[in-house]
Parts: sequence; structure tokens; C-alpha cells
Amino acid sequence: MSKKPTTGPALHKVIMVGSGGVGKSALTLQFMYDEFVEDYEPTKADSYRKKVVLDGEEVQIDILDTAGQEDYAAIRDNYFRSGEGFLCVFSITDDESFQATQEFREQILRVKNDESIPFLLVGNKCDLNDKRKVPLTECQGRAQQWGVPYVETSAKTRENVDKVFFDLMREIRSRKTEDSKSTSGRAKDKCKRRKLKCILI
Amino acid sequence: MAPQPVVTGLSPKEGPPGTRITIRGEFLGTRPSDLIGLSICGCDCLLSAEWKSPNKIIAHTGPAKGKGDIIVTTISGGIGTSTIQFRAYHETIGPMKESAVWVEESSIQSLAWGRRNMAPVGYTQEDPLGLSIEGNDKKFPEDIRDIFPEGNGDLSQENFSPGWFLLENHHATSFEDLKAGLAYIKRKVESQKEGQLSFLKSNAGSVLDQLDTLMTIRSKIKEDNKLFGSDTLKDLENTIQSSISSSSEIFRDVLERREKADSTRAALTTLNRHKFLFCLPNSVDRCAEAGEYDIIVNDYSRARNLFGKVDIPIFCKVLEEVDIRILNIRRKLHQQLVQLPQSVEQQKKIIKTLINLEIQQADTKAADGFQAVDPAWDAIEARAKYLEATFKKACSQYSLKDANSEKSKYGGEIGELPNRVVFCEEICEIAASQLPDIWRLGQAYFAGELRGASDPKPGDFKKIILTGIEKMCVYLRSAIFYAFDHRSIRSMFPITWPTGGSTQALSQFLVYLPQCLRFIRIAYASLIQLDLPSEALDIIQKLIDEVRIFCLSSFFKRAIDKIKKLNESETWVFSVEDFPGVTVLPSVLEKIIVETLEEGQNVCMNPEIRENNLMDAHPDAQREVSQRLQDMLIAFCNVIELLAYQINEEDAHTPIVSQLIGFPNANQDGFSCRYSGLSWEQRMLCCLANCLYCDKSFFSYIGSVFVKFGYPTPKAAVDSGRTHANLLFSNLLETYVEHKGDPLVGTIEPSMYIGHFQWNTVEFNGKLRPYAQECCDNLVGVYSEIFTISPLLLHAILEPIVQTVAEELARLVSCVQDFNKGGVIQANVDIRLLRDALKLFSNDTAKSYFAEALEVIGTVSADDNRKIEDTLKVIKEQMSLQILCFSIDGL
Repeated sequence: MSKKPTTGPALHKVIMVGSGGVGKSALTLQFMYDEFVEDYEPTKADSYRKKVVLDGEEVQIDILDTAGQEDYAAIRDNYFRSGEGFLCVFSITDDESFQATQEFREQILRVKNDESIPFLLVGNKCDLNDKRKVPLTECQGRAQQWGVPYVETSAKTRENVDKVFFDLMREIRSRKTEDSKSTSGRAKDKCKRRKLKCILI
Repeated sequence: MAPQPVVTGLSPKEGPPGTRITIRGEFLGTRPSDLIGLSICGCDCLLSAEWKSPNKIIAHTGPAKGKGDIIVTTISGGIGTSTIQFRAYHETIGPMKESAVWVEESSIQSLAWGRRNMAPVGYTQEDPLGLSIEGNDKKFPEDIRDIFPEGNGDLSQENFSPGWFLLENHHATSFEDLKAGLAYIKRKVESQKEGQLSFLKSNAGSVLDQLDTLMTIRSKIKEDNKLFGSDTLKDLENTIQSSISSSSEIFRDVLERREKADSTRAALTTLNRHKFLFCLPNSVDRCAEAGEYDIIVNDYSRARNLFGKVDIPIFCKVLEEVDIRILNIRRKLHQQLVQLPQSVEQQKKIIKTLINLEIQQADTKAADGFQAVDPAWDAIEARAKYLEATFKKACSQYSLKDANSEKSKYGGEIGELPNRVVFCEEICEIAASQLPDIWRLGQAYFAGELRGASDPKPGDFKKIILTGIEKMCVYLRSAIFYAFDHRSIRSMFPITWPTGGSTQALSQFLVYLPQCLRFIRIAYASLIQLDLPSEALDIIQKLIDEVRIFCLSSFFKRAIDKIKKLNESETWVFSVEDFPGVTVLPSVLEKIIVETLEEGQNVCMNPEIRENNLMDAHPDAQREVSQRLQDMLIAFCNVIELLAYQINEEDAHTPIVSQLIGFPNANQDGFSCRYSGLSWEQRMLCCLANCLYCDKSFFSYIGSVFVKFGYPTPKAAVDSGRTHANLLFSNLLETYVEHKGDPLVGTIEPSMYIGHFQWNTVEFNGKLRPYAQECCDNLVGVYSEIFTISPLLLHAILEPIVQTVAEELARLVSCVQDFNKGGVIQANVDIRLLRDALKLFSNDTAKSYFAEALEVIGTVSADDNRKIEDTLKVIKEQMSLQILCFSIDGL
């Protein structure tokens, strides 16, 4: 609906989703501050924002680091609503977290009502390859099934950390330009989505 | 300057007040103290901020509400803000819910539902829709302000936005319920529209009440107007004015009184001070009489402090008087200080008082009047003087007493200690009681406790102590040694002990010598405890050693006296088994010596605290002991000698008489002697045996007894004793041999020529001549006498006798002018028999005499020789018993 017109660099809102303890906050902090946090502290909802140069253009990235724990599941909907792109993270050493991605995907699609929302499936902790529980093929298979890219990262070694964020931002950016080009279709689409939401409430 | 701080990360990004929040960003300060400001949503959170790194701060949020920036202020970078915002919200507080901030639980709104607070507390009837908001307590997560930028959720606000309100409070309410709520609101509005009439209707009672009240007020005012006129206010104003003035008057009055009271109090305080000062001269005197010097010191110092620098003449005058009084007190105290006896504590007290008073009076005019520089030193000197005086007094007192008792009654009362001993005790007691006092006083003085203005004089104090101790020793010496160790001491010491030479008194005193020693030791022990310098203690130690030696020597002297009287205790009973003939005398001697040694050991030898072994330290003592032992041994020898020559009248006659000559021997049987059961000869023999015993073993044994008691080996003494015993032995032996031999030898000649016998008319009959027989018998008699007493003496006695017999025979034979043949044979037989029989007891001289005799007789033919041999054989058989007797050696 009515949003304050943002002046200055474009703002891309990224939301980190995934089960508890897969490394969402670790990825975020590594991306934001180049630091790796060893000790685990469950996140509630953290917010980060910084300026980055994306393909020669200065943009702002806003990262909402959400809670993986079930306790907060009920309020996820509200978060998801504001997200423009999602990094769906699981741990390759934890099969359960991989299975949970299915649920997150469904919830996002339900809230956003958009099959082609920018979305990356991220297999974290790839430095622990010897403890791998989820086979690479299975991951790739699921990504293919959803039609999203699959990237393996390590928050510890910073492997592919920048890649996932920048890839997602690029997708968001291209998505936005797409939107502004075909405003009519999208707008209609959006209206429809709002209606749906109202009905839901 | 560093770049401005910027906050790029928040964890978490929303929360109720008190949330622990991690703030991330850049340039957030270079160190903890660099961070000087932190505001979250307009709330200052610096207090809770914990600076971790330039990129990280941890803080707790404050009681803010809504969305807001994080503003970080650093010294280095200034003020910086955030790219993201924190959203603070208030949670509904229930009885079971924790909260970091105070939230009013009971809502204050009750006037109208329109004033309702935004925080729903659960009053369902307060809800404007009349709905329960239960189930809506979970906050609506999305920021409503984003959705309604111009709106407000507050019902009382102008820009109230119903959408906001509904989202905030009823986002979980079902559509049906909302519809019901709408109907409820509609109803309410309808009811309000009914208007004022219905309001009056419903409140008729209270409206009437109000009217009544108004009416009453009106009638009252009318009444008042009638009574006081219409201008009631003026009266009131006047009254108020007058009351104001009167109240201010009262206030002024109170102020005045307070001032008066203050000045009175000040006057009283001053008076009190004055009173103290004016009373001071008298109170000082009173306290001085009561001995409460502390009070004087305190009062005086107080007075000095208070009035010492005041110029008011009356005070000065009084103070001067006080000064004079104090001066007098000081004089008096000083006199008191040097007056003895008194306790050290008392003296210390006086000294301290004196010092204090002097210091305080130091700069006044009166101070010149009396200057006691160093009261402590004066006290010490006074004590030293007193000590000497006490010594002197005791000395004169007891010496006088002693002299008097000497005159009046010989020896003093029995059972009473001699004055000299009492004197020793007194002196020791004085020393033991007064020296510690002086020492303590001195210690306190040098420790600075009692020191006045001047410096202490260590040398003098030491001298005083030494002199005190020396004086004590001098007095003790004069009492103990004076009479005994005459001139040297008499010339050394100025003090004279009057007792001249009454030996009985002296010996009486000797008994108490150990007691004197004890007194000195007790005093010594009490002085040792004081930590006196060893120099001082050595003086007493020397005295003690001297007394010990003296005491020891007196014991020995007593022993010698006892030994001298030993002859009275001789019983003539043989008491030493392996030395026959030795009487009890040596064992009695031993007993005496052991007793003496034991006594000496107990009293003198055992070193007590801080004493040396007497023998090691003093060569004098060794010499003394050695000398005394020698004296004892010699005395013992003298006793033996005395006993040996003790000849009773009954024994006076010649004991052995020739039967041939015909003197009857009344006392042939020696054991019938009345005196001690032994004849004189036998006693002589006993004495001889004693001498021999002493020489051979006993004296050495005595020496070993001394060694056993820890004395050095008294070799010289023992040797000299032995020499003495030896000499005595030979003397006695000579006497005895003479006594025995002379009659024996004397009888040979008469017996030989008895019955006009002539050697040239001899007709040999094959028998022994009677003289030879008699000689033999006499020798057997002597032999038996010796043997009964002590076989050990046989050789020593018989040898000289045999020698004289042989000599006599040789002489007799050489005197014979002519031998016939029978005479030659007879003489040969006689002499050979004697020679053979006495062979065992013949020394070389005797043997040569026998040979000489045989030679004089002349040679005999072989026939004759054979005849002589045969005859000898026969005679020897006949006299086998006698001969057998000589063949037994005593040893």
C-alpha cells in the first residue's frame, strides 16, 4: 500500500529463513561484518542494513534475520509479508533442517502468493562435508523441483557467503525492474493478492 | 576525527522495555570510555551500555515505545545514527508476566470510555465495541504506523483512525463479533441522542438536591447582611490585617527572647570557664593532697590552653597563682620522688606527672623558680642511695646485735639463727627487692617512657647497678668470710664485722653456710630474670663461687674434725674380707667422706642457673679439695698411729718370756685381754694391716670415689696419703719387730748357756739343744699371733725377726772360743735345723748370717756330716708340726 517514497539508493529486503541452528545469523553476520560467531544464541528477529555496491550500483540491503525456533513460527507470516527475497537455509549436516525447508517454502509461497518470488536454497556448513547428512544430489533435486538455484555455503570459511546475498539481490533487482515495466499486470496481481489477504483476516 | 558512528545491525530489532540488545555497526567508539551517549527510541541507555568493540555494543532498552532510531555518541566520532530502527512495544502485564518496567495495572480511566488507555487491561465492558479482547493480547506484528502514517489508534486523538484501532485491538476478532460490536456502538450512540430531557429525568433527585442547597446558601447570606451590614468583607479584611500585625509582633517578641537566651547562655558558658579557672588553684592543691596527679596535669593543661594566651589581666593573675601552686606541687613531688621506700609504679607516676607539668610550665615565668632537669634520673639516684643506706643500716643493726649478744650471752639462743645468717638473708632480700626496682626504673627511663628534656646517661646507670651489686657482695663477703679469711679481707673491706674470734659462734655459723648460699642464690636468680648485663651478674657469680668453695672447704674441715675423732669409734672388728686384719676404720672413713661429698654435691657442686662447674672454673677449688683430701688422709693415718701406740697398762710388760729362764707369762693368751678383746700387739697388727690396706688399695679407692662425684682425680693427695701410710707402716713395723724380736733374740744367749753349758764339753746325743727348740717355739708363737690377725703381714714382720735371730746366732757362734767334736756336730745340727725351718722367711742377709755361723763352726768330716744329716732328719720328723707351720706362707 502506501509507503514512504524511498530516496537515495534502492533498498532490497532480504529475509533469512530456515530451522534453528542452521546458521542464518552466522551467514548474516559474516556477510555484514566479516565475523564468525562461534557461540550459539537463538535469534528472535534481528535487523541489519548496509550499503553495498551491486554491479556498480550502490544499493542498500536490509536483512531480516528471523527465528528458526518453532516458538516464533506463528509470527513468521508478518515478517514474510515485507520480504522481497528469501534465503532458505538448511544445514547439510542435519537432515531435519533440510526437510523443514519444504515447510518454509510453502509458507512463503502462501504469504507472498507468488511462485517466482526471489528465492535461494542454501546448504550451509559445507566445511563440515565429512559430517554431511544430506546428499548433494537430493538438494539439487529439490532446488530443481522448485525452480530455484542451490548454493552450498560456509559461514565459517565465508565460502559463497557474498555470492548468495548478491545473487539474491540481483534477482530482486531484476524482479523490481520487471515489475515497474509491466505495472499494470503486476498491479492487478497485487490487488488480487491484497484481496486474498483481507479475506484471510 | 574518526567517522561518525553508524548502526547497521540490531539483534533483536524489537522488544519490550529491558530487552538485551546487541547493536552492531561501525565506529562505535575506540574504547569503553569513548562511548558517551546511547539513545534507543529516544531513551537514554548509556547506563546499561556495554562496549564490546568498535563494531558492537550490548545494551538494554529503556521504557520507550514505538519505533525509533539508535543514536550513538562517541568522543572520537561525534553523534551518529542508525540505518535501521528499533521497535519498542509494551506487553500486557498480567500477574504472571515479568516486566522490566513499571506498568500501571489498574487503569485510571473511568470517566468515559473515550479516555481509555491504549494498553488494554482486560475490562471487556470498557471496550468501545463491547467485545472481549481476549485472544488479542498478541501484538499485531507489523508496524501499524507504516500502514496508517497519518492516523492514530487513540480514541481520544483527533486523527483517530478506526482501522488502526481495529488492527491493534481486534485483529484476532472474528467478523461476526465485529458486527456485534458495531451494533453495540450504534446502540450507545442512539441512547446518547435521546437528549437532555432524559438526562434530567434520570437524575431528578440530584438536581433537586442542588437546588435546595442553593436556596439555603442564599437565605444565609441574606441573614448575614441583616446582622453585619452589607459590607462584611471590610470587617473581615480589618480583622485579617490586625491578626497579621499581632502575629508579626509575637514573632518579633520570640526573636528577641531567643537572642536574650543566647546571650545568657554565652555568658553562662564563659562564667563556667572562669569558674574552672578561679577554682583551679584550690582544686590543684586538693588533688595534690589526694594524690590525683593526672587530674592536676589535665586541669593545668586545659587552663593553659584556654587562658595561656589571653591578655585579660584577671586571668593572667589567676594563672600566675596557679603556676606558683604547680611549682610548689612540683617541688613537693620531687621531694616525694626521692623519698623511699615506695613502689616503682608510684615513682613512675610521679615522674610522669613531673615531666608533664614541667613541659607545660616550660615557657612561663614561674618555670625559672624550679628546675628539675631529669626527675627519672633523680629517682634512680635516690634509689641507689637508698639501697646503699639500707645495706649500711642492716649491717650496723646486725653487727651491733651480734656484738651485744656476744657480750651478754655466749652463743646466743638455741634454735635461733645466728645474726650473721639473718644479716645475709636481709642483705639478699634487700638486693633482690631493690635492685629490680632500680633496674625497671632504669629500663623505663632508657626506653624513653620517663625521659625528660635531657639525654639519658647510660654509663652512669650501669655504674649504679654495678656499684649496687658490688656493695651487696662486699657486705656478704664481710659477713661470711670476715672471721675466717682474716687479714686479706679485713684490709680489703672498710666494713668490719665486730665478732672477733669466738670459735663457737664461728662453728655455729658454719652450719648455716649452705643456708647463706641459698639466700644468695635466690637473690641471684631473681636478678638473672631482670636481664641485667652479664658484667653485673658475673660479680655475684664470683661471690657465689667463692662461697661455694668456702662452703665445700668447711665441709671438708668438718670431715677432718670427725676423722680426728675416729679413734673413738674403732671397734677392732675385722671388716674387709679379702684383706684380713683390716678393721672398720677405713669403712668409717669412707662413710664420712661419702657423706661429706654428698653434702658438698648438694650444696656446692651442683651448678644452678647461670653457674659454672666449680672444679672446672676454679683451680683454687681443685687445689683446696686436693689439699683437704690430703689432710683427711693424713689425719686418718694419724688416727691409726694414735691407735697403734695406745698402750694400756696391762699390756705394758714384755709379752714373750723365755720359759727356760722362768718368767711366768700371765698374758700368754692374748685374746683374754680386756681392752677391746685384743691385746696391744694384736691391735698393733690391726693397725699395720690398716696401713697396708690404705697404702695398697683403700686410698686409691677414695680417690675413685672423688672421681665418681665429679671431682678431678686427686692423685697428688692420694699419693701423699699413701706415702704417709707407708711411712707409718714402716714405723709401726719397726716398733713391732723391735717389740717382738728383742725379747726373742735376747733369750737365745741365756738359754744357750743355761746350766753352765760349754761348747767344748758337748757330748752329742742326737737331740736338738733346748735354746734352738725354744727359739723355734717363740717364733711359732709370733707366727701364730700374726697369722690370727693378718697372714699378709707374716713376711713383713717375720723376716726382720728371723734376720736378727740369724745375726744373734752368728754372733754367739763367733764368740765361742772352742768347739769339741760333739759341740761342732751339735751346733751344726742346731743351726742347720733353724736355717732349714726358717728358710721361707729368711732374706738374703739372714741366709748369709746362717752361712757365716756355719762357717765359724768349722768344717765337718763326711761321717759327721752324714751323722748330722741323719740326726736332722730325725729331729725334723719330731718337730714336723713346728716346721710345717713355717712352711705355710701367709700370702
